[in-house]
Amino acid sequence: MTLAPHSRPLTLDDAAHLLRRTAFGATDAQIRALVGSEARTVARDLLNFDGATAPGNPFDPMQAATPGAGLQLIRAGWLFELMYGPHPLRERLTLLWSNHFVIGTDKVRNMPSITEYLALLRRHAATPSFAAFALDVARTPAMLRYLDNDQNRNGKPNENFSRELLELFTTGIGHYTEEDVKEGARALSGWTFTGGRGNQKYLEVPKFVFNPKQHDTGRKTYLGKTGNLTGEDVIALAAGHPATALFVARKLHRAFVSDVPSDAAVKGSAETFARTGGNIRAVLEELLSSEAFYASRAAVIRGPVEFIAAAVRSFGSPRMEPKQLLNLAQTAGKMGQILLQPDTVKGWDGGREWINDTTLLQRMQLAAALSLGGNAPKLEKPPTPLALLGTERAATVTALRGLSAKQQTYLMLISPEFQLA
Amino acid sequence: MPLHRRDFLKYSALAVAATSGMPGFLARAATQATGQKTLVVIQLTGGNDGLNTLIPYSNGAYYAARPTIAIPKKDVLTLGSDLGMHPSLKPLMGLWDAGQLAWMENIGYPNPNRSHFASMAIWHTADPTQAQAEGWIGRIAEKIGDPFCASNIGSSTPLALRAAEFSLPSIEAVDNFQVKLPAGLEGAFGAMLDAQRGGEADYLVRATRQMLSNTQKVQANVGKYRAGATYPEGKFAAQLKDAARLIASGTGQRILYVSLGGFDTHAGQRGEQDDLLAQLASGLAAFQTDLERQGVAERVVVMGFSEFGRRVAENDSAGTDHGQGSVMFALGKGVKGGIHGDSPDLEDLSLGDIKYKQDFRGVYAGALTNWLGLNAREILGGDFKGPQWLA
Repeated sequence: MTLAPHSRPLTLDDAAHLLRRTAFGATDAQIRALVGSEARTVARDLLNFDGATAPGNPFDPMQAATPGAGLQLIRAGWLFELMYGPHPLRERLTLLWSNHFVIGTDKVRNMPSITEYLALLRRHAATPSFAAFALDVARTPAMLRYLDNDQNRNGKPNENFSRELLELFTTGIGHYTEEDVKEGARALSGWTFTGGRGNQKYLEVPKFVFNPKQHDTGRKTYLGKTGNLTGEDVIALAAGHPATALFVARKLHRAFVSDVPSDAAVKGSAETFARTGGNIRAVLEELLSSEAFYASRAAVIRGPVEFIAAAVRSFGSPRMEPKQLLNLAQTAGKMGQILLQPDTVKGWDGGREWINDTTLLQRMQLAAALSLGGNAPKLEKPPTPLALLGTERAATVTALRGLSAKQQTYLMLISPEFQLA
Repeated sequence: MPLHRRDFLKYSALAVAATSGMPGFLARAATQATGQKTLVVIQLTGGNDGLNTLIPYSNGAYYAARPTIAIPKKDVLTLGSDLGMHPSLKPLMGLWDAGQLAWMENIGYPNPNRSHFASMAIWHTADPTQAQAEGWIGRIAEKIGDPFCASNIGSSTPLALRAAEFSLPSIEAVDNFQVKLPAGLEGAFGAMLDAQRGGEADYLVRATRQMLSNTQKVQANVGKYRAGATYPEGKFAAQLKDAARLIASGTGQRILYVSLGGFDTHAGQRGEQDDLLAQLASGLAAFQTDLERQGVAERVVVMGFSEFGRRVAENDSAGTDHGQGSVMFALGKGVKGGIHGDSPDLEDLSLGDIKYKQDFRGVYAGALTNWLGLNAREILGGDFKGPQWLA
């Protein structure tokens, strides 16, 4: 055990905290149902998800008349799952991985390739093998296209994917040389895909292929190892590098513990990562039942998509019109997060970077639309301070006196407490 | 929706608290006089290919390295016997002829980094050792004690505009930059902000108060602006127009920051970069015309950069990979037009890249000292010599 466990039964505030971090929040009743539970058991249950999705998802990108329309359907369809799906933690992790193994729909505009990529992230959301996950992602046409490895040929290397594999997906900067980037590109040469290219074929299914004629079979030296290395070899070497454990552990702590994670706690998770051979499920089970996790309250600034999913789930997941969901996906973009399209391959940094004058104004507008607006979702019961603020003792509670239920909901949605998980 | 636009003065009590409620430097903020001159920084995100921007059209090595994507000599907009501009930059020729366009050749920094993020962070913090966590413009704000001395025009604040305790405002669109609090909630909103908090919640309260103050300042004057030029379509031009509007209405920022992205041209570079440079040039030409009509052109200069240039040789995808060293540009009536610095030697390369000759911090130093009247050494942490690009 490398992180100290949280050993007391969950209190009301503990339960609210856990569900804010792992389920985008929850209703008053869902929070109360966890009081008295044992932390490890709850973490294990939360991680025990399957492939089930929300019934009745109205968005099918394969029906799109243009690539642009298809992308809107993909985003709204994912938002539907984030808001209504049976496994919010799986979706939270999918969101995290889409911000780790980044692809961007500014460049990738083939619908089946994006759908396949998303399905892969879901399947590996709590993967027992980070290395297997990295290898699978590397071979998706979405990634091959996004980072140009489909153009990487013997004698004519394209280093884009090779560089980001090290810098952003595995070791992080400072653990490799420019030579490693070049040698990695040689090893990855010949990985490409067929089908689905060009604006017209946005509904055609592309397929990964290894083209031996375009593969550089020569000797390479990569991260200190020499041989006739293949693409599989370099991904395994990068994923298994000691620095990768720390780099990935830090990402998990950024998402689940704090915008400014403690180095000691990150190291604890990195040790578990290394000891289990990159078993993300094991790392998460330990993390989500640790003292470090339960001690770190209101320390993660919710991103735009989390804000939306949190509002709707705290409301008890009321149904909304498809048009409203399409609009919400666009609103997330105005708040700084277009799903599957971060500004750069580094993804969103999150934390305080979500907050500036413009995004604060957008959050206020959205809060009004979700509570006071004519099209606001119809609620059976108004959400409680426990559901929206995370504790009945929140600073904002005193400001709610004398307000109508809808006004209270509005004020809580724009409160500092709601912006935090 | 039952939302009513409220008079901003109703929030002034909340906004005034912004200065008193913020720690440290912000308490000093309100007294700071605003300067007369404005610097507009243009960021070309993704690594603009300098060699296909300012083209060494008489250099055989350039054409040899780029059989597919080189700009043919006949298309180059000639600036001198060796150099010319990409044809998409044609809208800027008038400024060049008027001596109001400067190119700074061969700009970089020691130990170049080919990562977009690391290199961008180096330009943003003006620190090649990557030890600084704050942006160079954020440091200006701290130094002069004014959290409104610079704004980003866009939805997310670049590192350049971040300081230790806060980030400078991002204004996505001037028209939407205002608070619309539903009727009857002013008191409760104020009471909510006044409640005691710690940690990130306290940070969010401070950010909200700052936003209330900033939106008030902007909305106080912008209604008077009437565009003095026809801007082209697109987000970049719209953002330049908002910059002109803020300057013309005397909002008071000394630095405005605008970005144009998409320069990471690993494949099919010609189509992509040609289009981006056309957006850049047509937007800036309209901006400059607008400033002239508003009567403020004398007090605005534009300075443009990208995080790196690209490899001298093209790759097999009719594109270029990340390189080091590139060009910067500046334009405006306060600029000393011409080419500043020597062009790179394309036959003496470092790992396939040009060897930079001028440090970008020298260009920043010029803007800080000679344009904004600030102590460049305090902001940049050292003395950096650079081209004399200001008149």
